Amino acid sequence: MTALLRVSSLRVVYGDTRVLDGVDLEIVHGEFVALIGPNGAGKTTLLHAIAGVAPLYGGHVDLDGHDLANAPRAAKQAIGLAIDPPNLPALLTGRECLALFAGARKLPAIPPATLALGEILSLTPVLDRRIDSYSLGMRQKLGIMLGLLGEPPLLLLDEPFNGLDPRSALAFKSHLVSLVARGNTSVLLATHSLDIAEHYATRVVLLMDGHVRRSWDAAELAAMRENPEHSLEKAMAEACGI
Amino acid sequence: MTALWHPVIRADWLVLRRTGSIAFVRILGAPALLLVCCAALACGEFYGDYGWCLAAGALLALGASHAIAYQRLLDAMTRWRFGWCGALPIARGAAARTLLLLAAAALMASLAFVTALLFGASTFAPHGRDLFYALVGIDLALVAGAAVAAIRVFRRGAFARVHHADGIREPLLALPWLDDPRLPHLLDWQRRSALVRWRRGGSFATVGIVLAAVPIGAPILEVAGLVLVVLSWSWLAVVMHASADAFAAAARLLAAMPWDARSARLASLRYPLVATSCALVFMAIGTALLRHGVVAAVWIACTGAASAWPLVRILRATRSPEPSA
Repeated sequence: MTALLRVSSLRVVYGDTRVLDGVDLEIVHGEFVALIGPNGAGKTTLLHAIAGVAPLYGGHVDLDGHDLANAPRAAKQAIGLAIDPPNLPALLTGRECLALFAGARKLPAIPPATLALGEILSLTPVLDRRIDSYSLGMRQKLGIMLGLLGEPPLLLLDEPFNGLDPRSALAFKSHLVSLVARGNTSVLLATHSLDIAEHYATRVVLLMDGHVRRSWDAAELAAMRENPEHSLEKAMAEACGI
Repeated sequence: MTALWHPVIRADWLVLRRTGSIAFVRILGAPALLLVCCAALACGEFYGDYGWCLAAGALLALGASHAIAYQRLLDAMTRWRFGWCGALPIARGAAARTLLLLAAAALMASLAFVTALLFGASTFAPHGRDLFYALVGIDLALVAGAAVAAIRVFRRGAFARVHHADGIREPLLALPWLDDPRLPHLLDWQRRSALVRWRRGGSFATVGIVLAAVPIGAPILEVAGLVLVVLSWSWLAVVMHASADAFAAAARLLAAMPWDARSARLASLRYPLVATSCALVFMAIGTALLRHGVVAAVWIACTGAASAWPLVRILRATRSPEPSA
């Protein structure tokens, strides 16, 4: 199967610090990959490097057959990066912000699927309010909707469940699972929630010190779910040498 | 032990040093340029009446000093109170002392700069001896503008009022056709940013300042012309900076999106260009009302061109064929 994302020998450097040092990763259509690792492992940086918002020091990112360095616009058609809540424009309303992103994707209007997601996340009643009046949870929901707008093939989500109320978190998990099940969408989710990674992901990748230390495939994850003696937490602790 | 100064000042200084010389130029460039304009105006003979020149220079110094001090003090105070250090147990007095010290240092530097400028100019200016009055006038205006700004910022509830008023109003004359469908609402973002800055910089208080500084007995048409010119120019400068900053923020927000440079450029230049056209119309009317309109028009053209430099930032940001790379 053709890889939707192919990351090879990826290196990102901030000052004197090598945040990512030779990361290799492939994701195919219909995969739900959870990226786990301790603080400072480089999870967010990896997502940003794939999205083209962190400068690469070395290596390649290939998205849906397009090299990110040589054809960034074509490559970025394949991704949707959820926006961090503090980065949202305070002076626009939620609906205006969605329209801005729709325009950047050359869509004539906000897609009905995005507005439907707003209904699922209970954000519709506040979409016409200015973003500076939103709570953290509302901003998180809007950031998610912006990432999913236009249903790009690869969703890049960085701790998207932070600040979500339990009902919205459950609804969003179900939405992600249904998108992945349709086979058109893949997810790369950076998270500290091992429970979500273990129960919803089809593959889990452990990132440590800028390297991929270990990964668990669907069969290993299924075995963990079935055996109460095993868990992703224990497996991760073993892999980390704790 | 209670700290005498706000500890964040040290962190800010370290950040500034690491950012490099461009940060210093950005902070010091606009005030320095404005002071040069004040001094040039005070030394000039645009109206054939030295009193007019001095009044215009002092007036500009008053407005600029007030606007810059008010905006920077309010920004710093808001950041210190509601930013990452907002929950630290720092005495309110320490913040106020630090801000007052910074404002006083900036004021002293401005006074020294103007003094050096005018002493330099006095060697070849036609009114060399009279430049002492220009110096006193501009210095007093700088002190008065900064003092009024400090009083306004330190008044109880200043944050709440500013925050409440920030860009909530919608335009009286909505022009939906002006919005570019390729980047919808970028224009609203730029317009609201300009509105917030305009209010933080003193807004229509400028009209009062202009009127207060006009010499007694001045012809009413000239006063109207001066008000139109000063207001239009200051508004244009605010719009240009706000538009460029809003576009830079939009570029960061949309960095992971597949947008193209040409669309971005066309969308981001709409509001500044329309604002420039409007400001030029008002400036032209104002200039027509002034005596020696040709000289004033040249001066306005130069200052207008200087105000437009933020547009270069937009053009540079969209120069590459694929800016989001």
